[in-house]
Amino acid sequence: MFGFISQKLRFLHVLLNRERNKQDNHSPELTQATISRNLDQNLKLFKDILGTSNDIIIREFSFGRDRKINAALIFVDGLIEKTTVNQSIIKPLMYDSHLFSLDETNVSSNIDYICRAMLSVGEVQKTGSVEKIIDGCLYGDSVLLVNGAREALVISTKGWESRGITEPKTEAVVRGPREGFTETLRSNTSLLRRKIRNPDFTLEVIKVGKRTRTDVCIAYLKGVVNPRLVEEVKRRLKRIDTDAILESGYIEQFIEDAPFSPFSTIANSEKPDVVAAKILEGRVAILVDGTPMVLTVPMVFIESFQTAEDYYSRPYYATLIRLLRFLAFFITILAPAVYVALTTFHQELIPTNLLITMAAAKEGTPFPAAAEALGMGVIYEILREAGIRLPRPVGSAISIVGALVIGEAAVSAGLIGAPMVIVVAITSISSFVVPSQSDLTAILRVVMTIFAGFMGAFGIIILLLWVLIHLSALRSFGTPYLSPLAPLSFSDLKDVFVRSPWWVMLTRPRTIGWHDPQRQEFKLNPEPPPEKPEE
Amino acid sequence: MQKFRKNTVTIIFLLIVMLGITGCWNRRELDTLAFVSGLGIDKAREPGKLQLTAQIIKPGEIKAPEAGGGGMGGSKPYWNISQIGNTVFSTVRAMTLKSNRKLFFPHNEVIIFSQDIAREGVRKYIDFLIRDPEFRRLAWIVVAKDKASEVLETKTELAKLPARNIAELIKARSATSEVSAVNMQEFLTRLMSKTTAPIASLIEVSAKEKTAQLTGTAVFKDDKLVGFLNKTETRGLLWVINEIKSGIITVSCPDGKGKASLEIIQASSKIKPEIKDNDIHITVEVKAEGHLGSQMCLEDLTQIPAWNSLEKRQSEAIRSEVLAALKKARQLNADIFGFGEAVHKKYSRLWKDIEDQWDEFFPNIEVTVKVESKLRRSGLTVKPPRPE
Repeated sequence: MFGFISQKLRFLHVLLNRERNKQDNHSPELTQATISRNLDQNLKLFKDILGTSNDIIIREFSFGRDRKINAALIFVDGLIEKTTVNQSIIKPLMYDSHLFSLDETNVSSNIDYICRAMLSVGEVQKTGSVEKIIDGCLYGDSVLLVNGAREALVISTKGWESRGITEPKTEAVVRGPREGFTETLRSNTSLLRRKIRNPDFTLEVIKVGKRTRTDVCIAYLKGVVNPRLVEEVKRRLKRIDTDAILESGYIEQFIEDAPFSPFSTIANSEKPDVVAAKILEGRVAILVDGTPMVLTVPMVFIESFQTAEDYYSRPYYATLIRLLRFLAFFITILAPAVYVALTTFHQELIPTNLLITMAAAKEGTPFPAAAEALGMGVIYEILREAGIRLPRPVGSAISIVGALVIGEAAVSAGLIGAPMVIVVAITSISSFVVPSQSDLTAILRVVMTIFAGFMGAFGIIILLLWVLIHLSALRSFGTPYLSPLAPLSFSDLKDVFVRSPWWVMLTRPRTIGWHDPQRQEFKLNPEPPPEKPEE
Repeated sequence: MQKFRKNTVTIIFLLIVMLGITGCWNRRELDTLAFVSGLGIDKAREPGKLQLTAQIIKPGEIKAPEAGGGGMGGSKPYWNISQIGNTVFSTVRAMTLKSNRKLFFPHNEVIIFSQDIAREGVRKYIDFLIRDPEFRRLAWIVVAKDKASEVLETKTELAKLPARNIAELIKARSATSEVSAVNMQEFLTRLMSKTTAPIASLIEVSAKEKTAQLTGTAVFKDDKLVGFLNKTETRGLLWVINEIKSGIITVSCPDGKGKASLEIIQASSKIKPEIKDNDIHITVEVKAEGHLGSQMCLEDLTQIPAWNSLEKRQSEAIRSEVLAALKKARQLNADIFGFGEAVHKKYSRLWKDIEDQWDEFFPNIEVTVKVESKLRRSGLTVKPPRPE
């Protein structure tokens, strides 16, 4: 069946390619075009390209001692910082330019002079490429065109309304930094740079998306990262030839290793400290402009069970909580299935007293256990989805409806047994303990329950084995998904089921950070001060 | 792609094959099953037929009605279904004619044989119980002094089900060690031994109160009931077969002015056979430790002479219990202690000659009982509460 689908997809791909090639027939011109010396001609060109949208401002003015040099500033209203444009570009040119002796005949040297001496703006780029000018203009830069110059100045004046740095809603912590990424790429990179003050910390930008020209930034730590991993990430990113990238989820689906797998092979996080920690382990982060969700690759399965707070709290409690997370993961995928299997196939495995209680609850309920489990599961998912989408004030109504109507009333009306409500409740609560796998667990839980309903524990075992086989076959950017468990790496077990104290974690994960394996010196464990020699 | 498709086909094929080779498979909802908690086997009035009584739990009624609910009409939380038939299996199946739910046996806790069935021989009945996969080998084997169905009808105060009550009585026996507790597995081991006699708990229904109580041990010769051990004899037996968990030994105080009760804390025993001059000689070594649990005399028993005398009395009491059991076993000519197996283990070559004549040997075997018992502690006080 997959073969059939992929065949169809390929056919569609060919069709689309042909269509798009027709549409984009002017783009090769644009990439090579340069501006001319004539300002009017240039302005006409840009007016043509940028169209008549009213947020595009073209400010024409003259400067120089005799106001003889004509120039124009092009920018997009709303993307620029007005004070910078007014105070640092227009003001020096219009008021102060007569103080300078500008050669009005040799304009291209003038443009250098303007760049060097007159503009009090940090980032200025000189270019003649129409494409670069347009790109800059649409990304909040101001473009200064001077009559007679073959090149224009692209002046960085980015500044737009954006959400401030707030605490991320998805990864709340009790202990640890509260800041989260925002929608602005630059502020996101700055958050990372502030965590890793190291010249080796490298950012590289690739523009992805034919129409949106979205900045996609890869961040890594040179010397720690495997250079081939960086290369591979770049290769996969450059492969993407699509219209639009609006969120990192787009990128994720274009570059992941196993697109048909229910397991995600790319991790994401909203927290700079988490991403910084992963970069320091030798991973590559992919930041996408316009979204606070930052991707990190490669991802291993165990990552889902590690949270930032594990590393900030002391090891005993962190270990306990981590083990609890494993337990919760298994509860959330297995609890309804095991309940169904036990009550419909393996009644002999339930202790007698418990069985009697369960049988008493089952007495008089109309549906088979598997149908009960699936139905309750569906209702729970509906409630959850409704709870997310509904406006906050209405949200509380959902929980009342959910708790009272679905739980209490359904049991007292004899539609379902109380134990099933308890099982579904435990399951749903457990699913929030491992949030990064919550979409997977929802799917797996349903399939598990169906298998258990048909085949009992045997079905559960079949499915578990299948999942295990699949997991051990998965790779994320060359790293086995189950590492460090399979293939087993003893030294990495320090951070799997237990979270060892920091002074024990001498090495980076072997499958990821092996380029510079040693994280710290040996024997960093706290010790009493050396005794003073007797005097 | 070709390879992928081939693999898929293989995997699907294997999955289908796996479904078929796993054995019994059936989907049954909880409310289609009748959970049997106890099974009684009686003789039917018609000659040659048996009457089977199964105690089925009614889950809806076993749960105490919630506050405000009042009562659910006070109906019994169990249903004793009886059926007469030729064999156990056919009778069990015939029960489905009366019960709308299928009888489900893995939660069966006791199997009760009536005295007349036990006297006739239990082998033919127990065969089904070990052949059918639904029966657990952990079910207790009990012999009813009278009818098994009566035992399943007895009144219970704390437990809700008579069968559960009996199972709990048997589990609680370790406080006294005056009743034997034998599950199906142990019963079978003894039944399949050439020399060792099977035993089972003995249960009686008191005529007045209609409650069940354990009164001793039923002794089988081969698969037929031959007699009973009373409580003292039972403890004697348990001393020898190393089954004593706890219990109270009552002795008279050294000054003779009252009684003292000693609690057994730890006990172990060994059976040492020896063949000398064509004579089998068995030494039973019992080691026990106890506490002084209560005293009714005023003497300070913790003084060394009194303490030593008490220890001696304890040993003597244990010895007399063992001898009582031995006397009864000889009388019944039933090797309940497993002496035969002990000899077999030690003298495996000579055993072949002895094996067939064990019944003649057993009543005349010379048995020495050595008891070594200690008293360790005297509870929270030392002297009895009396003015100095």
